[in-house]
Amino acid sequence: MKTYILRRLGQSFFILLGVSFITFLLLYILPADPARQIAGRSATPEAVANIRAQLGLDQPLFVQYWNYLINLFQGDFGRSYLQKTDVAELIQSRMAPTLLLMFSAILIELLIGLAAGIYSAVRRGKGGDKTIMVLSFIGVSSPQFIAAILVLYIFAVKLSWFPIGGYGTFAHLVLPALTLGVLGSGWYSRVMRSSMIDILRQDYIRTARAKGAKENRVVFVHAFRNAVLPIVAMIGIDIGIFMSGIVVVESVFGWPGIGQLAWQAIQRVDIPIIMGVTLVSAIAIVIGNLIADLLAPFVDPRIKLKG
Amino acid sequence: MSNQPLLSVSGLAKEFSIKGNKQKIKAVDGVSFSLNAGETLGVVGESGSGKSTLGRLVLRLLEPTAGEINFDGQKISDLNPKELRAARRQMQMIFQDPFASLDPRMTIEALIREPLDVHKIGTAAERAEMVKKIIGHVGLTEDALSRYPHEFSGGQRQRISIARAIITRPKLIVADEPVSALDVSIQSQILNLMLNLRKEMNLTYIFISHDLSVIQHIADKVAVMYLGKIVEFAPVDEIFSNPQHPYTKALISAVPQINPADRTNRVVLTGDIPSPASQPSGCHFHPRCPIAQKQCSETEPQLRTITTADHLVSCHLATGAVK
Amino acid sequence: MKTFKRLLKRKIALFSFAVIILIVASAIFAPLLAPYDPNQQFEQGLTLQGSPLAPNSEFILGTDLLGRDLLSRLMYGARTSLFIGLLANGFAVLLGTFIGVVAGFVRGRIGSAIMRFTDLMMAFPALLLAITLAAIFSPSLFIVALVIAMVNWVQIARVIYTQTISISEKEFIEASRSLGATNTRILRRHVLPHLAPFVMVWATLGISTTVLLEATLSFLGIGVRPPTPSWGNIIFENQTYFSTAPWLVFIPGAAIILLALAFNFLGDALRDELDPTQRGRQ
Repeated sequence: MKTYILRRLGQSFFILLGVSFITFLLLYILPADPARQIAGRSATPEAVANIRAQLGLDQPLFVQYWNYLINLFQGDFGRSYLQKTDVAELIQSRMAPTLLLMFSAILIELLIGLAAGIYSAVRRGKGGDKTIMVLSFIGVSSPQFIAAILVLYIFAVKLSWFPIGGYGTFAHLVLPALTLGVLGSGWYSRVMRSSMIDILRQDYIRTARAKGAKENRVVFVHAFRNAVLPIVAMIGIDIGIFMSGIVVVESVFGWPGIGQLAWQAIQRVDIPIIMGVTLVSAIAIVIGNLIADLLAPFVDPRIKLKG
Repeated sequence: MSNQPLLSVSGLAKEFSIKGNKQKIKAVDGVSFSLNAGETLGVVGESGSGKSTLGRLVLRLLEPTAGEINFDGQKISDLNPKELRAARRQMQMIFQDPFASLDPRMTIEALIREPLDVHKIGTAAERAEMVKKIIGHVGLTEDALSRYPHEFSGGQRQRISIARAIITRPKLIVADEPVSALDVSIQSQILNLMLNLRKEMNLTYIFISHDLSVIQHIADKVAVMYLGKIVEFAPVDEIFSNPQHPYTKALISAVPQINPADRTNRVVLTGDIPSPASQPSGCHFHPRCPIAQKQCSETEPQLRTITTADHLVSCHLATGAVK
Repeated sequence: MKTFKRLLKRKIALFSFAVIILIVASAIFAPLLAPYDPNQQFEQGLTLQGSPLAPNSEFILGTDLLGRDLLSRLMYGARTSLFIGLLANGFAVLLGTFIGVVAGFVRGRIGSAIMRFTDLMMAFPALLLAITLAAIFSPSLFIVALVIAMVNWVQIARVIYTQTISISEKEFIEASRSLGATNTRILRRHVLPHLAPFVMVWATLGISTTVLLEATLSFLGIGVRPPTPSWGNIIFENQTYFSTAPWLVFIPGAAIILLALAFNFLGDALRDELDPTQRGRQ
């Protein structure tokens, strides 16, 4: 068991290292010259060269990478050339809204997805099941930004039930979280449904019923407890999927998280910020997968651990 | 006819290392024998004896960790990959599982033609002709050619495998348990097919099986294997009439005999074949041997001749006396 | 081919297929079918105040912020989006299959190293990586396609890798080797034909991902740049008219959803036919 944990941690560490290297490489091959950008248009070649030296941009590749890495460990994600602030500071100030949205969305996905999945499994083959499965499919296939715009238009613009984007109150959270939650629930409902169907077929469920347990108890306690296991691992991956979509979702809803930060950076072609957000998302994904992998054996004792 | 054996192997060995474990598995541990053209060598043993591995080593489908293979005047063990591929034209294999050894997505025609394609024998038209001729040889009809493996029974698929093996007119065929996966009634059909082909094409077989009654039917010489070594080697009649090694005796006693006069007391071996990773000391067979003595656990016996020059046995206690 | 015919017997599959054909046809025949030039700005295409027109008899789907006909732009946009989607998907499938097959066939250290690399690439959220790449490189159609391909090849590579390993271990591969076949022959005649169904499934599923990615990038303003129409950038351009001229957002949006659903359904159904144990989100 310990070897497994250590191995996974080691793997994640190396992946993060690799991620940092690729991020660095991308920064390195930028056509825009940061020194020139900082120096300004009218700077002399010497001034530009000076700044290059100051920034350490004249060093060989691996030296630059090493410096980059050291900085990362100290929490320094570089500076935005255009905003003249630390990328890390910018990201930090925007993390909270993104995290809030992420947790809310995943919570809603789980609530809707698990409920729908159980319902579908229990009413297998009947109308309700088919409807839910079709809706789930549509949810999973629909591009997030289209759904976001539609939802915003119908509920905020036309019906005025909710504010048109922005941040601050619970009402502001509802639309974005619900949009993400409903769309994403499709994935969970499909998996939950097949998981429940498998479990409900098992002998020990028949035993519980034969013993006279009430059907509700059978379904919600016995079956659910076992069927929900694969879902736990999915949450880790869901974090990654969430991260993929934050730019569009946050920009449509005017949600001031790191996605919107990236969106603004895109408009201004402020590469360090874009890279910073990418790096942070990659880290979140690696951590999410790591947690999913580490939880899996606890949650499902049947999973054998290879050394 | 030259006096050189068609195939001779000496000191052939194959070790596998298990990941994470320092111990190595000696699947084949120092096997030597020779085979003349037209002869059939039966290799018999339980699963785990190394007989399948030996078959693959002879063809160098697995790389030996030690030993030499001489075939048809060439040192097979020394050939480079390109030469080895060319040499394969003369030595073919028939596999045990008639379901797994044929690519399910290829037609029978393509499957049987493949050896010709690989070795670039003849033109496309000539190859098609050769395939048509050979399919009759193995007892199937031409309309089988456009069909797929899943449309045939196990016995028929084995016929297809045989057709694939003989189409290049090889000199040596290694058959790895070719009838073990088939119904008993089909087994004799396939065996008879193989016997006919042997006569017709002057084939040399290495016939691997765990089934002594099958071996009795088809082999000229028999090698009995246990835990990677040959424990007895003799012409087929000699093995069945005068087995010397306790293991061979046990195997033979287990073969059902129709004639009550031929029935002997069944020798029951205790225990299972040990794992090839942890081999017993001295004679590898001694823990299960009904007549084991002190020296058997201490020193390893070597193959020595007994009774006649072509009967070899590796046992301290063999005397040559008839059972 | 057999699976495909079986597939078409299911009604929804048929419907999806029809939708795709419709969209592809309007894309290919846009020059013939489109009522107007997609880039022509009509004076009568705007209201007196300069706002877009709602769908009417002259402009069937209405006009956009510059007075251009939406239907024509939509049809030409289909061309762009599909072109990029197919190009990108083609690249991704080729690259992914190549890498997957090499890693799976060669195995050993090289194979593991390649797979570690794909693990690495999977850590990056696709969209963000695409955004980064698009922001770094100049925005030609070709580059957009390349960027999308760079992000998409990974999943295909992993699937092909697992499949290649599983195929290489089958006995008929050993049988071919015992005949004396070279690795090239084994790959070409035995491994690739068995991989074909998987490549097909992933190629189909991949189109919806690539088209969506293009739409998203264009929506963010870093994909296809106007005036060349693409479904994503039509929405991008007309965002500000969102509340006054919602059709400019809804109609392309609906088109995107339909296309995504159609390809997804087809690919999902294909996957079910081939391997019912696989399930889940792309």
